[in-house]
Amino acid sequence: MTSSLCVCITSSELAQSLPVSFTMTKLLEWLFAVSLVGVAWGLVTFDLLDFQFPAVYREVAWPMPVYLLVVFGCYSLATVGYRVATFNDCEEAARELQGQIQEAKEDLKKKGLKI
Amino acid sequence: MATGADHAVGLGLVGFSLLLFTYYTIWVIVLPFVDSDHVVHSYFLPREYSVILPGIAALILLLCVGTFIGIVTWKNRKSKKVN
Repeated sequence: MTSSLCVCITSSELAQSLPVSFTMTKLLEWLFAVSLVGVAWGLVTFDLLDFQFPAVYREVAWPMPVYLLVVFGCYSLATVGYRVATFNDCEEAARELQGQIQEAKEDLKKKGLKI
Repeated sequence: MATGADHAVGLGLVGFSLLLFTYYTIWVIVLPFVDSDHVVHSYFLPREYSVILPGIAALILLLCVGTFIGIVTWKNRKSKKVN
């Protein structure tokens, strides 16, 4: 889903309106959100606006990017592991398929096809 | 339902990632709010290592991925020469 933003520029000399359209892509949305979060994190960690937070908040904030990466990695690992463990294995169907493949190979060999 | 080794490996991955998540969360988020003379601090390394260790792990991962790609590319190039 994209949303268009139309900006009209009028110049007194040209007396004409030039429409310029700007499409917000998903990448731009993500970059915008990431940069907002990044600025907020930078403000808290490096105390750029001199808020002088209590030391505990700074202690928790500064490893945040690494922490989020590790949490994302853990979530990915857990999802992969869970889906491997609950994969719908059909052993009987697999054996049947292998048997049919053998049958087909022998049949084609008899008819002269080289495999 | 996956059987045998698949099932075991999958559950192992889930358990390992849960352990890692819990330990790392306590280390990064809970410990700063705990008094510095509490006994639980003895189970965790100094705070700097909570950033250094994942950094080293990421570097090792990149190394492994790069080595794998290099080996596969090298093998492919050799077989092309023979053909």
